[in-house]
Amino acid sequence: MAEMPYAAAVNRALAEELARDERVVVLGEDVRAGMFGTTSGLVQRFGEERVINTPIWENGIAGMALGLAITGMRPVAEIMFADFMYLAMDEIANQIASWTYMTGGQTSVPLVIRTAGGAGFAIGYNHSQVTEASFLGPPGLKVVAPSNAADACGLLKSAVRDDDPVLVFEHKFLYFVPQEVPDEEFLVPLGKANVLRSGDDVTMVAIGSMVGKALEAAGTLAADGISVEVIDPRTLVPLDQETIFGSVARTGRLVTVEEGRKRGSVGSEIAAEAAEKIFGSLKAPVARVAAPDIPVPPGPLAESMYVPSAERIVETVRRLVG
Amino acid sequence: MTTQGAGETLAVRSIDTQTLLALHRKMVITREAEQTWSDMLQKREFYLMGHFGTGQEAVGVGLGHALEPDDYLFPTHRGIAEYVGKGMAQNDIWAEYYAKTAGPAGGKGGLHLSDYRLGLIGLVGSLGADYAISAGAALSTKLRGSDRVVVVSFGEGTSSQADLGSAMNVAALWKLPLIFAMTNNEWCELSPASEHVCTPFVAPRAEGYGIPWSVVDGNDVVAVYSAVRTVVERVRAEAGPYFLEFKSYRVGPHWSGDDGSYMCQEDVCAWQERDPIAACERRLLEEGMVSAGEISGIKKAAQAEVAAAIERARGLADPTYEEMLAGVYSGAPAGGGAREVS
Repeated sequence: MAEMPYAAAVNRALAEELARDERVVVLGEDVRAGMFGTTSGLVQRFGEERVINTPIWENGIAGMALGLAITGMRPVAEIMFADFMYLAMDEIANQIASWTYMTGGQTSVPLVIRTAGGAGFAIGYNHSQVTEASFLGPPGLKVVAPSNAADACGLLKSAVRDDDPVLVFEHKFLYFVPQEVPDEEFLVPLGKANVLRSGDDVTMVAIGSMVGKALEAAGTLAADGISVEVIDPRTLVPLDQETIFGSVARTGRLVTVEEGRKRGSVGSEIAAEAAEKIFGSLKAPVARVAAPDIPVPPGPLAESMYVPSAERIVETVRRLVG
Repeated sequence: MTTQGAGETLAVRSIDTQTLLALHRKMVITREAEQTWSDMLQKREFYLMGHFGTGQEAVGVGLGHALEPDDYLFPTHRGIAEYVGKGMAQNDIWAEYYAKTAGPAGGKGGLHLSDYRLGLIGLVGSLGADYAISAGAALSTKLRGSDRVVVVSFGEGTSSQADLGSAMNVAALWKLPLIFAMTNNEWCELSPASEHVCTPFVAPRAEGYGIPWSVVDGNDVVAVYSAVRTVVERVRAEAGPYFLEFKSYRVGPHWSGDDGSYMCQEDVCAWQERDPIAACERRLLEEGMVSAGEISGIKKAAQAEVAAAIERARGLADPTYEEMLAGVYSGAPAGGGAREVS
């Protein structure tokens, strides 16, 4: 098993799917050059008709992907920053999400929209958010958030092969971290959570960039005698409730960890589902570790205080168990 | 017609009796259906609000009828002329309007009609969303080496959505087989176009994108049909977009819930004198293509067809709760043969 950065794993997934199915096309701003390397080199291998540079028109990238998908193609669109997903909100939330239902299944909508979110460059505001929580609502979308290189590759390949629209929230800070990826071709199924560490006292559901910090926190807590089960849901819609709530039924405690802001977060949705479905199993209130409800601040210091840290996760769990 | 810029004058072609009669029948049934719909709303016999296209039937019918079944058409929200023009049956339209499971979209389209057998692949309700979708469909057509053309139809009100400029840009940049078909009916919802649009005509803007354009008399169904045929042939042969502006007038209100009292009655009356259906009738009679009896026969047949379709739709099965919930996703993944790891 060789190591490769997350961005290279995305690139590999795209190359394999472009080679497998001639209906697959990649489109977006600067995809021929590739801003973060996720699409670099594809145009040399697959040509300009398969790897399409678009103008700066996010709503158009999403809308054109829809037009391609309902006429026989399988587009993989890129929105360069997750913040810019809001520029494409009408096409994604009003049109792409509804199209299969609205046409009574006369067509499916086999498209993927990939985007890169997250802090790490200390730019703040419109280049630093994770926005996946804003896309849990519109019915008809599937939403994934890969936390590592292997999942980035395997989930994306499954997304390309899925007949429904899938939004893939990649994390640009993870792009450059080398991680192990299987050498042979593989898929990671949509809708299946990954239990990364077993534990008995607390179930910790961590998303995207927070998975690494959750594992770090679990290691620290183990030294205190607190046993944490760390689950990466990988797919946020549809959520693997069976795995997550099965774990909570054993541990009796649920902590969610994400880079996004707390209000209207992924954790909010998981907490609400838990309150409805497994309230009787809970020994303590659900805790959400998330960013504060402020814009992403600029500057390295403010950014490091904004993004949840392993220490904050540890403190939260200690309060919950103690 | 005085426009800004040169534009192109598209010669009106001669038309055979059969085609003109087909266009006439489609205009008549469009008006009968919309009038019946409006009457039912007045009598509170129907739930579905409507945006009627009274007085501008020639545009949608001429446009839809000029296309091949496998050309894609993204219609406007106004009236049913484009659907009828492209061949959608009254039974299918009304089954959808009554939200019955027997409709082509299983009753899930409603006002958002679609019929994939006819290249009617969806209607957006957030106006202007289909600029990008139609550009994608046109790109798809080009990538697949198909000779289909794509038409996106809209009004001068929706021309203010920014995506129009972006779509014209990519259509010209990529030489897409995409026809921008705009109806200028002088009304943007409840406001005059003069309060929405900075120029009397929108089509000249196409020139800035290097897109050829023409302004066509939208109340002359032959002029509309002929212009679309000419432009479609050109787009198929040369690959590249075209902008058609059809000058017409909305003689009724924006939607079934407003009375149109904000409209200038003198203008309305003047445009009613130019009614496209009456004009077509005169031509059919003057050229001896039909008798007066046949004209009234066409109207009666249209009324009967609409009434039968509505009657049928009312009797169709309503969706169950389970059927309402189904169909948000398409079903099982397509799969691809690689092993799954967890």
